[in-house]
Amino acid sequence: MPDPIHQFDIHRLVPINLFGWDVSFTNSSLFMVLAVLVTFGFFMVATRARALVPSRIQSVAEISHEFVADMLRDSIGKEGMKFFPFVFALFIFIFVCNMLGMIPGAFTVTSHIIVTAALAAIVFLTVLVVGFAKNGLRFFKLFVPDGVPIYILPLVTLIEIISFLSRPVSHSVRLFANMLAGHITLKVFGGFVVMLLGAGSFAVLSPLPLLAAIALTALEFLVAFLQAYVFTMLTCMYLNDALHPGH
Amino acid sequence: MSDSPDKQHRAPGEMTPEERAKFEGRVSDLGGRLGEIRARQHAGEDADRDAAMRGRGMAYGMRMAAELVAAVIVGGVIGWALDWVLGSRPWLFLLFFLLGFAAGVLNLMRSYERMQREFTASTGGKIGHRVPDNDD
Repeated sequence: MPDPIHQFDIHRLVPINLFGWDVSFTNSSLFMVLAVLVTFGFFMVATRARALVPSRIQSVAEISHEFVADMLRDSIGKEGMKFFPFVFALFIFIFVCNMLGMIPGAFTVTSHIIVTAALAAIVFLTVLVVGFAKNGLRFFKLFVPDGVPIYILPLVTLIEIISFLSRPVSHSVRLFANMLAGHITLKVFGGFVVMLLGAGSFAVLSPLPLLAAIALTALEFLVAFLQAYVFTMLTCMYLNDALHPGH
Repeated sequence: MSDSPDKQHRAPGEMTPEERAKFEGRVSDLGGRLGEIRARQHAGEDADRDAAMRGRGMAYGMRMAAELVAAVIVGGVIGWALDWVLGSRPWLFLLFFLLGFAAGVLNLMRSYERMQREFTASTGGKIGHRVPDNDD
């Protein structure tokens, strides 16, 4: 049976050692660079014409812009558009990484928790910085809900703080777990096809896991988009908390 | 004009009774066919919406699970770290583990509320299949 975890191995393409730190250019770095290049190339081509009546490729770029802009306006309001470059970059990067991972043999950057944790940490720190810069100490109202009797307030505050600290964890684990689980499942079903083909007369059963693998591929494309969407959606919500901590 | 005898007494454009019957038959036939097509389209739409809903339901399920587990883990880690600093093992770990669980349930309730709001906004509060109305 082919090892389903093998696809997540990281190997150094260009070993780099900087002051004792291993900062080698790995296959993971390669696919991140690829994702940025694909995004850059796509938007360069798509926005080159700047036609009033968009061509097909231009409307794809416009739809993606509107999609993220609507998300921001819905959850934060007009002032949320200040975060548009940040949120749009996040969405496109995750989406393109997920989609690149769907190419057979490609490496899925977002299936490593260190990558998603870094993205979630950026969001978390942005929320903290913006929250304190905008509201000062009033940001702490996030942890002190209104209308709670004074004798259980310490307990509630403690729970709220843990709930707040758990955000980056669930934010990163969700994306990572979905991508990891999906790709492992695909690989396992692909492995079943090969194993059945090599098992004599059981080879007649081999189309069954093949069909499952095809259906799973379609599902994975949905998940790839949906997880990019969910990650962006939650980012919008957390940013909303930073701007309006009172709810 | 070698028409039927009674045709001469009618205004131009008026139909004989047979013609009218045929015409009305065609109209009701067309109405029936339109209704069929509409019903088929509605069924398609419902199926599409169900499929989309199922995909989204799965995403929500994963979201909920991550929400609960994350808070328990964070609570446990905080308690463990405090124990390590204060040397009070295992009491703070136990306390914060439970607090983490409470925070997880709080997370669940919040995301459920949000989900409910999104859901009502996107479907107008209707759930699942359109049930045929027997009243009319």
